[in-house]
Amino acid sequence: MFEEIMPLFGKSQKSPAEVVKALKEAVSALERGDKKVEKAQEDVSKNLVHIKNMLYGTAESEPQADIVVAQLAQELYNSNLLLLLVQNLSRIDFEGKKDVAQVFNNILRRQIGTRSPTVEYICTKPEILFTLMSGYEHQDIALNCGTMLRECARYEALAKIMIYSDDFYNFFRYVEVSTFDIASDAFSTFKELLTRHKILSAEFLEVNYDKVFSHYQRLLNSENYVTRRQSLKLLGELLLDRHNFTVMTRYISNPDNLKLMMNMLKEKSRNIQFEAFHVFKVFVANPNKPKPILDILLRNQEKLIEFLTRFHTDRSEDEQFNDEKAYLIKQIKELKSVHEN
Amino acid sequence: MYDINLNNYTSGMTLGVSNNGTSTVHLALHKATKSYVVIKKYFIDDKEPEDYSFIQQEIITTRQLQHPNVLPYLNAFVSGHDIYVISPLMSYGSCSNLLQEHFHQGFPELAIAFITKDVLRGLDYIHKKGFIHRALRASHVLISAEGRACICGMRYSCDVVKSGKWLRTIYAFPKSSTNNLKWLSPELLQQDLRGYNEKSDIYSLGMTICELANCTVPFSDVPDTLMLTEKVRGSTPQIIDKSTFPVDVMDIEESGEESNSNSKKNIKAMATRKFSEPFHAITELCLQCDPSNRPGVKQLLAHSFFKQCKRTNNTLLSILKPVKPLNERFMDSVEDQAMVVTTELENLELESCQWDFENI
Repeated sequence: MFEEIMPLFGKSQKSPAEVVKALKEAVSALERGDKKVEKAQEDVSKNLVHIKNMLYGTAESEPQADIVVAQLAQELYNSNLLLLLVQNLSRIDFEGKKDVAQVFNNILRRQIGTRSPTVEYICTKPEILFTLMSGYEHQDIALNCGTMLRECARYEALAKIMIYSDDFYNFFRYVEVSTFDIASDAFSTFKELLTRHKILSAEFLEVNYDKVFSHYQRLLNSENYVTRRQSLKLLGELLLDRHNFTVMTRYISNPDNLKLMMNMLKEKSRNIQFEAFHVFKVFVANPNKPKPILDILLRNQEKLIEFLTRFHTDRSEDEQFNDEKAYLIKQIKELKSVHEN
Repeated sequence: MYDINLNNYTSGMTLGVSNNGTSTVHLALHKATKSYVVIKKYFIDDKEPEDYSFIQQEIITTRQLQHPNVLPYLNAFVSGHDIYVISPLMSYGSCSNLLQEHFHQGFPELAIAFITKDVLRGLDYIHKKGFIHRALRASHVLISAEGRACICGMRYSCDVVKSGKWLRTIYAFPKSSTNNLKWLSPELLQQDLRGYNEKSDIYSLGMTICELANCTVPFSDVPDTLMLTEKVRGSTPQIIDKSTFPVDVMDIEESGEESNSNSKKNIKAMATRKFSEPFHAITELCLQCDPSNRPGVKQLLAHSFFKQCKRTNNTLLSILKPVKPLNERFMDSVEDQAMVVTTELENLELESCQWDFENI
């Protein structure tokens, strides 16, 4: 069947099997670090472009027919080339790294009916995911790995492998690295993993509550303004998602969390003040406040009312915010100690 | 090499404000390497999450591009409440600054040929990597100390390779593009079901060529709605020389008492100069209303307009000669030292309120 298609894309065109074989040999040579590294690099780049053009087409040509793509994918699985490529990503040149990501992401989204063969394949080779996650350790490949990881995170089966692995906790370090582009890329991936599949992440957060939130605490106290701001915003989103009801209940029962939010309400950054407000409001709105929470609020009742009255008064346009603020002030005014009742 | 500690840079004059006021651009000296760099400082604390994600996107996109005609970002980091981006100094600044400060009659044709050729090379790379720039204009073309033109302003770009798919047509309107409307193609501005593709950048290149030649972008004095109607109707802006100069305008300008002698002189020079046929032709090609009639980058690079670059002994640098590069102006301008210091001090609001957490 393949021979019938061959003439359609010209004689010089390599078959999927040939181009995968050529690429694998070149990557292996690169890995071994033979004397002819430059030649190997050139071959890797050339064959990657070749595969990329087969999958995406170019300005002048259409992508290859489905059957060719299917063969290509099959060759990639059989040869174990996807793992080999991500393992050697640092050795591939700048443009080649991006080509790897584009090839990977295209193959990943392949579908046969309702099945996703590449996703199934990666489930049997989780090293691919772990290698990609550890890519954030290396400046030169971090963004490329991020591009691939976020695509993987769209698939629940792959997201599950990643969040339940020990390596997941490395993200708490990656999102705080000093290079802005890498840290914020890692944060996007981290957020995707925790928000894309609601039920999966709710279960994960419940089961691993202590470990996750002790790590999360560090992000909220980070020296890096962007880390603090982004993690606070994500915390608000997580707590207010109805899937995470159990997690939220647990979070707002802990007086240390309330203290942290009250301190963040007073941070210099207006943005952080505002995001902290959206977490703080959940503590106040809780109809069943545990005693320690109630105690803190009562102890600071007058101060809180005064503080909130003066809080972000320039947001007059934001109706929802003003309604929420008025509601909080009312709630705090009406707080009574348990003993008085 | 370019580290992330602001104290290792001596900051000089402020070069400008960009991205609709979300960032300021400063000339600086990297102490360790004694090299000049440009530091772009983004204020993000008062920005909505959407604006923040634009800035993030711009930085991540630019960090993944490497081409001699695309401005690289050497490093990006957070300090205080701001994001700082380090890029190499482009000594002659942006083409729009050069127009404002030195070339009041527009650039000479040869200079435009050199600049356009470099821009096309950069654009070719950007397109091949799956981006549409969507904001090509003279202020997004910078000139280096060696006379090389570089494209910047990737903030407005869009990625056509998404989730493993190459989108052949884009429909999304670039956000916060209000200031770029004059340069945008009719198909992009129309926002209809036909969408647009990378040919939209070719139209913007055509507008930029007019801007470089005429010192102002076409339609600069026309309200946006009328500008859109004109573009969609197929009215093709032109580079101004004696063959295209509108005679009636000249009469009006001649009689106008209030216009000062300098601008009169400039207008007269523009009305009497002569641009080459290929120059008129390439501009017209870029500004074709129907995107399918516009050539691609490759075809444009082969256009006869660029022959003059080879026939001359001149370089872009020799044409720019009277202009003093920015780094030479550095020493007279170590004025904004405050940039580093203020970061830590700004927004310092002494909050009198203290929470009472004792024994809880």
